Amino acid sequence: MIQATNLTKVYGGITVLDIPHISIANGESFGLVGNNGAGKTTFFRLILDLIAASSGEVLIEGEKVVRRDEWKSKVGSFLDEGFLIDFLTPDEYFNFTGKIYGRSEGDMAAFLKSMQGLFNDEIMGKGKLIRDLSKGNQKKVGIAAALLPDPQVLILDEPFTALDPTSQIRLKRMLNELQAARNMTMLISSHDLNHVTEVCSRIVVLDKGVVVRDIETNEDTLKELESYFAV
Amino acid sequence: MFLQLLKHHWLKGVRSPGFHKNLLVNIFVGLVALYFIALFIVIGFFLPEILEEIAPEIDPAHVFNGTLLFIAMVILFARFLFQPLSTIHIQSYQHFPIKRGKLINYLLVKPLLNPINYLSLCFAIPFAVSGMAPTFGAGGAFRFAWITVFLVWFNTLFASFLKRKLGVNIVVILTFIVLLAGLGALEYFKIFSLFTLSAQLFNLLIGSPFGWIAVLVFSSIAYFLNRWFFARNYYPESFEKTAKKENIDKQSFSFMERFGNIGDLLSLQMKLILRHKRTKGALYMTLFFLFYGLIFYPFEVYRKPGYLMFTAIFITAIGMIMFGQWIINWNGTHFDFLMTKKISTRTYIRMNYFFLLSLSVVSFILTTPYFFFGREIVIYHLVAILYNIGINTHVYLFGATYSAKRLELAQGSAMNMQGVGYKNFIVIIPLLVVPMLLIGIFSLFSATNIALTVLAIIGLLGIVFTKQLLEVTEKQFLKRKYLLCENFRMKE
Repeated sequence: MIQATNLTKVYGGITVLDIPHISIANGESFGLVGNNGAGKTTFFRLILDLIAASSGEVLIEGEKVVRRDEWKSKVGSFLDEGFLIDFLTPDEYFNFTGKIYGRSEGDMAAFLKSMQGLFNDEIMGKGKLIRDLSKGNQKKVGIAAALLPDPQVLILDEPFTALDPTSQIRLKRMLNELQAARNMTMLISSHDLNHVTEVCSRIVVLDKGVVVRDIETNEDTLKELESYFAV
Repeated sequence: MFLQLLKHHWLKGVRSPGFHKNLLVNIFVGLVALYFIALFIVIGFFLPEILEEIAPEIDPAHVFNGTLLFIAMVILFARFLFQPLSTIHIQSYQHFPIKRGKLINYLLVKPLLNPINYLSLCFAIPFAVSGMAPTFGAGGAFRFAWITVFLVWFNTLFASFLKRKLGVNIVVILTFIVLLAGLGALEYFKIFSLFTLSAQLFNLLIGSPFGWIAVLVFSSIAYFLNRWFFARNYYPESFEKTAKKENIDKQSFSFMERFGNIGDLLSLQMKLILRHKRTKGALYMTLFFLFYGLIFYPFEVYRKPGYLMFTAIFITAIGMIMFGQWIINWNGTHFDFLMTKKISTRTYIRMNYFFLLSLSVVSFILTTPYFFFGREIVIYHLVAILYNIGINTHVYLFGATYSAKRLELAQGSAMNMQGVGYKNFIVIIPLLVVPMLLIGIFSLFSATNIALTVLAIIGLLGIVFTKQLLEVTEKQFLKRKYLLCENFRMKE
């Protein structure tokens, strides 16, 4: 589904990401962990063509992403507040996103219904602008918008941070269900080793831009990761 | 059958996701259309007086007939450039026992039923009453109106024939321009007068009771040229090919579904303006500056070509000056959204182009009261709007890719200079200074009219090459995209 080859990103002489080759299969749930500055977000931004790679390239379904538009209809993503339109209400924001993807009113109603659990009745119909929502609720709006087009690939950067415990558990359940039912390819970065091992079938550890671990998730994965990070 | 197909087309439009939801855009388009209808009616009524003032010794009806052939050619050129070819989704109908001929007929006649094509009647009918009736009598006025309808048919059909046969490319566009310019030059140097030919031709056609038949014959010829083209080229693949090519164009330039995403993005832009202090402030400033003309126009001292040009461009482009350079910056806070969701670069750039275009058209409409200051002002404003649409929109759009500072829209007023740099002032040079200098220098040699014509032609060329200019901006935007992304992420 996604291939990266010889992918590097250099900022002012410092290499922040260096991935000789990585391949993410269709339907795989791919977890990315690493300390701050490990290059997780940089990797995601390169996939989404938001920064220019210093070398190498990213392919989605065999098509290059650089300066192209085709991949945009296949990928749903939420990295940070730049993916929100903060002067809209959540209702307007979903409506607008739905129009961009040509969703019918029926599609939208079904979609919003499927998000009810996550929203916990705090998002829709409140007449509040997104910029006035709490960080946690903003995050929920962004994640929902990424899921709205029913994408083949979902990319989320630290989706669990800022969410309350109930929402974290609901989100986890939702991601697992989507994975099982739709065979969605998921790329999720997280600082929370617990959550990421529960959602992802493959965990990649980045350190200073380099892949240091690439593990199939099993019962021992959490322990292995904990011992790796406990330095 | 024909009606069925038409009904399907209508339903497709009405049921497309873009139709009901783009209320804002529809209202805007409606208002602009009403404005032009009103304008055409007024011009239609008063044109005889204006013509009498310009050429007192010739009958206004004859003057108009003299220019009619040239006007028809210019409109044919415009239609060739901008009129979308009508298409039909052939696959949906192929398996039914419908005769090819019927489908082709539908394709050809459909545009003739589009009311927009009859906008010229809003001009022709009042003019028939006020200009044609005194010379040719009531019957002549009636025949003139019908001849206008037949000319519309001819132009619509012949333009689509040319478009289907030749395609829109640089060579054809240049041929058209050279032809039109050549005819103008021949007239000017008194070698061959299209005016005389046209006047004689239409005087004869309108004057004689059955002249209209000749025009109708020409329309029929245009119709059969299209039939001939389809007879030779109609097989499903080629049909699909035109349809496919059309669809790409439709994404951007046509109404309804063509306006789809662009309309949504435009209404987002409107919300952005109305929901931030800074942009709202700029909106008030724009309205305030519209009165700028009152400082110059009433006074004889300032009635110098250079001043007039400066003022005309300044007030007709004020919307662009206040908003244009920052159109991309404004999207800074949600730029990642725009870059990762299903919005093609082309759509994004065209949305911004349409935004600037609407600003120019609205500014122009709002400044029409200045026309009361005399004919001179009308001419200057018309030249200014052509230059604005043809050149300034593109200069601004291109220039906007250089404003890469994150703007904090939520705070501050219109006078907030945060994020304003020297680059924002460089744009003013092609925008205001070049036309002003051109006019100023030419007026020293009392050749102001030549300078005005040159500016108008430059503007027209810009309009003709809109597509190419937008492609240049698209490439530029893709080059600057990463820098913009990066800068917009940095908060001050």
